This record gives sequence, structure tokens and C-alpha cells, in this order.
Amino acid sequence: MKIQIQQLKKDAGGRRILELPSFSIEDGAFYGIVGSNGAGKTTLLNIIGGLDQATEGRILYGENAVEELPRKEVTMVFQQPYLLRTTTEKNIAYPLKIRGFAEKEIKKRVKELAEELGLSSLLHQKAWTLSAGEMQKTALARALSFHPRLLLLDEPTANIDPATTAEIERILRKINKEEGVTILFITHNLAQARRLCGKCAFFHKGKLVEEGESAALLTVPSMELTQRFVAGELLI
Amino acid sequence: MEELARGVAEALRMLLAFDPEIYEIVGLSLRVSLSSVLFSTLLGVPLGVLYGLHQFPGKNLLIRITYTLMSLPPVIAGLVVFLFIMRKGPLGFLRLSFTPTAMIIAQICLVTPIIVGLTYNAVKEKAPRVKQLAATLGAGRGEAVKLLIFEVRTGILAALVTGTGRAISEVGAVMLVGGNIVGKTRVMTTYIAQLQRMGNYDRAIAVGIVLLLIAFLLNAVLYQMQERQGRA
Repeated sequence: MKIQIQQLKKDAGGRRILELPSFSIEDGAFYGIVGSNGAGKTTLLNIIGGLDQATEGRILYGENAVEELPRKEVTMVFQQPYLLRTTTEKNIAYPLKIRGFAEKEIKKRVKELAEELGLSSLLHQKAWTLSAGEMQKTALARALSFHPRLLLLDEPTANIDPATTAEIERILRKINKEEGVTILFITHNLAQARRLCGKCAFFHKGKLVEEGESAALLTVPSMELTQRFVAGELLI
Repeated sequence: MEELARGVAEALRMLLAFDPEIYEIVGLSLRVSLSSVLFSTLLGVPLGVLYGLHQFPGKNLLIRITYTLMSLPPVIAGLVVFLFIMRKGPLGFLRLSFTPTAMIIAQICLVTPIIVGLTYNAVKEKAPRVKQLAATLGAGRGEAVKLLIFEVRTGILAALVTGTGRAISEVGAVMLVGGNIVGKTRVMTTYIAQLQRMGNYDRAIAVGIVLLLIAFLLNAVLYQMQERQGRA
């Protein structure tokens, strides 16, 4: 699903926290957003995901460029996922249930995702007894259960061990390549952004500083601010 | 201490001998308390969810009033209900004075704020994340509310446990509106008060023990439900 961001502005607490020029994220892209804390990355993601509203500007979704968020086709996964107080299986099945899928189809899809994400032995386990990595994989499986066309990820591997991170990255690459899911990915991990994202944007203090191919942007950026960020300098 | 020992023995005797008077009183106590909890739940849970989910003018005031009413003295609840239903009161034509219905109404006034307040607390705590989750998974408004109620089910059951405890143990309200009439409005708590006044301590303690046993059983059932829901 193509996303067009048009002159987006967001004010909060009496100050402007986001001010972006028009740019777009192509259908099927794996697009990264990097930047220090307070750069406006999560604010943008929340606006795209319909959890927050822009003060000015607009976002268009899909090839037909609709302003209304197609809720049934977009989903988000956060750094600290909220799992329902029930089993892993019921968590993954929830989006399918509310979409009226038949029980047989739900079971089949849950089984498929559990196998893919290594959750098969945990399906009957209570969600609150899972480890952080297992919780994140459950949240991802739940998000993928209904074949979304746009997946918004806010630092989904920030608290996860390297092995689980690698597993999640493999799944994300797969759904992006094989199913053509557009992925918008916020991360503080520049190596991860290089590995996963075709294109990247660097945000600083609510502004888009630079955008381009990840390999170039995160290795030899053209803007001085991006160079300092990539070099690991603390930007104030 | 002698009275206490005799009271325990009397309690056992009453229960094992199927004392008709005590079973009638226990039956009415349960009918009044459980009816009031049922109506308070039907009224209080939706109100608690509404307060927890929405912002509206006067909400803060309503919540403060609810919290205050959570510790409403039963005699005040009883007095207000009595003033409404007494023969010369605005609802006097309904002829509810000194009936079990009046006792149920008085207890509804006591239990509903407890259920509203505790449901509101449970909802308020979870609502932001559950609403966010519902939105990100494509759930509609109705589905989101259903999901929220599912997520706060243990909190709602805790409200029911507390409300049931309040209803079964209070004496002031049911005494004022019911009048402790033998065979008609006498419940365990009013009976204990009367036995104490008559100096019949053994029997008062015995009825007290029966009341405690019933409260224990009701709470055990609700607690078990709460535990099961918590693990579900």
C-alpha cells in the first residue's frame, strides 16, 4: 500500500513537534525511519496508523489515494506489545474472529503462523507467562494473521535478544518480499535499518533531514546532521 | 467467652436441626442481597465502563460523587429511601414501605456506587492500551468495548465480591426501610440486632456465625470465578 504524506504538521503542548514536507512511501517498500528520541518518528507512525491526528496536512493511503485509513488493512506493532489476558492462540486468532472468519480457517492460519514464528509449543500458554521475545512474536503473528497490506512497526526488536531479533527480521523480510506488504519500520539500530530497509529517512526534532537508499544514507550521508548522527554523536 | 462457645453450639444446632425460622431468615437475606447485587451490576458495570471510556462535561464531579457514595452510611441510604417510599412520600402510592422490595432498593443505593467505582478504576487503567490495540487490529467501536470488558473481567468480579459483601452484611438500611418484621422483612443482620437488644446473646452469636458462613461461601464462589477468569 502506497502512503503519501502531504505537508504534515503536528502541534502538541503549544509547540510544533512534527513538520514534514511531502514525500511518499511506495507500495511494497521496506521503509525505515531513524533518528534520536523526540525526533517525531512515533508521532508520524501514530498519525499514519490512525492513533493520532495531524494538525495540518494529510495522508493518503493506497493507489486510489483515500484519506480515510483502511483500518482492516493496516496494523501496528509496538516495542512493548499489549497481549490479551488469554492464551497465545486466542491472541493470534483475535483479528480473524472480529473479521468473521470461520473457526476452521482461524485454526489453520494460527497454526501456520505459529509454525512460522516458532510459537507452536506455546499456543496454549497464557500470554502473560511468555518471555519478552515470545510476546513480541505473538504480537507480530497477531498483526500478520489477517494479511495486512501495511505494517507499522515501532522499535519491535528493541528489548529482544539477538536470536529472536534475527527470527523476526527473517519473517519481516519474507512477508515484504513474498506478500508485498509495505513495512514502515522505526528503529534506533542503524545496522538493522541497513539490513532490512530499502529506503530510510532521518528525522531530527520533528523534521525530515534526509531521505534515500539505506545503504547510502546510513553509510555516506550527504547532510552534516545525518553524518553526525550516523557517527554516533549525541544530537541536541 | 461462654456466650461465644454457646453461640457456636447453637449455630450448629440451628443448622443441623433445619430450624425453619433461621432458614426463612437466611432465604430472605440471600434473596434481598443477591437481587440488589444483580440490579446494581446491571446498572453499575455499564456506568463504570462509560465513565472509564469517555470524557464528558461533569465527569470529574460524577466520579467524586461516586467515590463519596461508595462509603455512604447505610442508615442514610435507608433514610432517603424511606422518605421516598413512606406513605406521604413521593412514591408512597407504590406501597413499598416495610417490604423486601424496599430493602432491595435501599441496598441498590449502597452497592451500585461500589460497582460503578471499582469498574471505573479497572476500565480507566486498561482502556488506553486496549483501545489502541483494538484500533490497530481493525476492531470496530462495539468490538473494542467488548474487548475492554473481557480484559477487565477480573476487576468487575472484584467489584461484585465487594458489593456482595456490603449487601449481605449491612443492617442500617434494611432495618429502616424493612422494619425487621417477623416472617416478612426480617433478615440475618436485623435479627442479630434485635437478639442483642433482647439479651439473647447465644442466638445472636449463632445467627452471626451463620451469616459469616454464608458470606464466606458467596465470596469463595466469586473469588473462584475471579481466579478462573484471571487465568483464562
